Amino acid sequence: MSQAINKVVVLGANGAMGAGSGEVFAAAGIPTTFLARTIEKARQGEARAVGMAKAEALAKFIEVGSYSEHLEAEVAQADLIFEAVSEDLELKREYFERIDAVRKPDSIVATVSSGLSIAAMTKGLSESFAKHFLGIHFFNPPNVIVGCELIPHAGTDPAVTAFVDELLATRLGRVVVRTSDTPAFCGNRVGFKVLNEVAQLAEEHGVEFMDTLIGCHTGRAMPPLLTVDFVGWDVHKAIVDNLAEKTKDEAHAAFVLPAYMQKLITAGHLGRKTPDKGGFFRKDEETRLVLDPATGQYRPLAQLQPPEFALRMKALIRNGRYAAAMDVFAEAEGAEADLMRRVILGYIGYGLNRVGEVVKEARDVDRIMGFGFNWAPPSVLVDSIGAARTVKLLERAKIAVPPVVKQAADAKSRLFSERAVDSGRFFYA
Amino acid sequence: MTSNVHILGGYQTDFGRNWTKEGKHIAAMIREATLAGLAAAQVDPKDVDSGHVGNFAAELYSMQGHLGAFLLEADPALSGLPTGRHEAACASGSIALLAASAEIEAGRYDCVLVVGVEQMKTVSPGVGGDYLGTAAWYELEAKGVEFPFPKLFGRLGDEYERRYGLKDEHLARISAVNYENAKRNPKAQTRTWYMSEDHACVASKYNAKIGGRIKVTDCSQVTDGAVALVLASDKFAAEHAKRLGVPSGSFPQIQGWGHHTAPLSFDDKVQESKDSKYVLPHTRQAILDAFKRAGIADCWKLDAIETHDCFTTSEYMAIDHFGLTKPGESFKAVEEGVIDFGGKLPINPSGGLIGAGHPVGATGVRQMLDLSLQVTGKAGGYQVEGAKRAAMLNIGGSGTTSVVFVVGV
Repeated sequence: MSQAINKVVVLGANGAMGAGSGEVFAAAGIPTTFLARTIEKARQGEARAVGMAKAEALAKFIEVGSYSEHLEAEVAQADLIFEAVSEDLELKREYFERIDAVRKPDSIVATVSSGLSIAAMTKGLSESFAKHFLGIHFFNPPNVIVGCELIPHAGTDPAVTAFVDELLATRLGRVVVRTSDTPAFCGNRVGFKVLNEVAQLAEEHGVEFMDTLIGCHTGRAMPPLLTVDFVGWDVHKAIVDNLAEKTKDEAHAAFVLPAYMQKLITAGHLGRKTPDKGGFFRKDEETRLVLDPATGQYRPLAQLQPPEFALRMKALIRNGRYAAAMDVFAEAEGAEADLMRRVILGYIGYGLNRVGEVVKEARDVDRIMGFGFNWAPPSVLVDSIGAARTVKLLERAKIAVPPVVKQAADAKSRLFSERAVDSGRFFYA
Repeated sequence: MTSNVHILGGYQTDFGRNWTKEGKHIAAMIREATLAGLAAAQVDPKDVDSGHVGNFAAELYSMQGHLGAFLLEADPALSGLPTGRHEAACASGSIALLAASAEIEAGRYDCVLVVGVEQMKTVSPGVGGDYLGTAAWYELEAKGVEFPFPKLFGRLGDEYERRYGLKDEHLARISAVNYENAKRNPKAQTRTWYMSEDHACVASKYNAKIGGRIKVTDCSQVTDGAVALVLASDKFAAEHAKRLGVPSGSFPQIQGWGHHTAPLSFDDKVQESKDSKYVLPHTRQAILDAFKRAGIADCWKLDAIETHDCFTTSEYMAIDHFGLTKPGESFKAVEEGVIDFGGKLPINPSGGLIGAGHPVGATGVRQMLDLSLQVTGKAGGYQVEGAKRAAMLNIGGSGTTSVVFVVGV
């Protein structure tokens, strides 16, 4: 493909993903039209984008419009149409039909959908639309998180995929991972397996305990349940329900939404976006509260002393001794250490076992977990633990050993392959 | 006979990291940079003879002194290593490099490790600004002043304006070029930030004036970063080349250096230079000394420059002081694109302190690492095509300590 992207149209530009994605295009100097239900909403999206860029000058690249008045005229001139409306297949299809009717024959259409099937979205649309359609899954907020997934469906023209890959990587500065059109793609499938498993375990072990046990020292900037509060319980439910329904792999049980979460979602507890009701955590005036999953009630958050092995890991990480911290991870004894290993080894195993099914190579899983989720990529953890020892730990935990880990162990080689990346950045004390 | 100083290799941490958010002590920064630097240079820790740390103010930012000793934490084989820490404000890294290279020239040691490090995000911007004030004459110029350094470097711009005229649009262009360059550098702090010349030109809500004529876009960044570099003697470099199976003479060398100190207070500097064509004559002299030692006539024998753009005004000053233009005519090089990435003499292909970031004590070491990458064709996306010789200017305080190196192959 030799076309240039000189105009982008964003649908749903007032939402977090729409405005954030629009910011990414405009910041690259591409004239971008923000569309929403009303022009006022589109203007709100523009203001959000300008705030993300921290530069009034960004507005020079942004125009605004409404679906009713401007969609057809704007789409007719666009080289890339980026759909970021609600995660509702029927609603999306309504817009796709309008786009299909007026778009230039070689224009590219992308959806930011994080879970719906890309192929299913093209049903009933023209062949040209289908050939030029793919998923571009940015993570929130797109102006900060550079990892993204590129998801062609079976009918996408490979030249279109290659062109968009280049556009994202070069002009938009993204870390691009190509995934197959499978449920939740790669990042959310691997990430929400861990998040939901921790939510399940919280029923027995408590919220603070699980967030302490699978805390920052296990390779993440934010503990898992606090992350779910930020994501929103409704979004969490949509993702894991979709995965529970559509996948049948070794992690199937981990995708079942805990009953206590379902009950609270029905009662309007959605995490940070419902501050009065909260999620796993809530703040009442000056008191931080935590959920008791057994009763659905909130009580004052107790400062929980992490287990002794977690304290040792944190102290080592604080001074840059990451391999030594992972020695503690591998060798700590007791039920709590076993539980920590079960979750983290489960993450390594499930993530790297998606190689071949969802992505091509280990590097893809690493890039999306590292630069989309800001979690230690599975390969960084394997290298720090040692591949041979990881194999033993996985076997002991009865987790399927990913072939790439076995190969690294046999070859005594390292698995993480990003030369320009400080792998130390993924360890948090 | 004195030895030449060879640069075997080194490593820069990602300047976009916030080590406080990672929960890390400055020890982790020194350890990561040291291990990765030795690995990049393919030098065994047991072969290191001596170690130097450049750092400005860990006592303030991290309540930690005695940083030389932290080098030993990287590897048991470094136990017993002679170490020291060097401070000259933002030129601390270069002072460490000068000490290390002097040891090699004197024949004292053959393989010397230099680490520049600063952890700055431990405190709020206001408190950090006050700490940075200790790089000026604190009681006279900084005490009780909010963000003293932007104000001091705003006055450098004012002095140019008084003597020669100065337009802020040229400063905005300098900022935009640095940000643009940073986008090619995978270790640059601002590589994902939005910037445009339009934005840099106008004072606004998101581009507030913070000290005289200095706006946010005129400033370098508050950065956490560590950089390690391994320097070696002729003897060690020759043996090392043999070990690696590369031709002797493969490693870049420090071809020349200059080092001058001006009076600490900005008023005294201006007073002293009132009859000079150059606003900072000591900086000019450090450049001339380095050129002379490198055996080059002028800046046109260089393929690239990494300069100290703590503010756009300091890069504006560097342009005429390096001799790209006559004194007072730096704007010509800006307008003509001489300093652009593809220009006749690119300045800060890395993005400089504005784009790549400015972890104070690490900056000089980062500059030399970048010169060594440039002259060996290893700078990746920000490689200046065909670069064989490049120079750096590292400045401490308001133009107080100036250190210049010329590096080439």
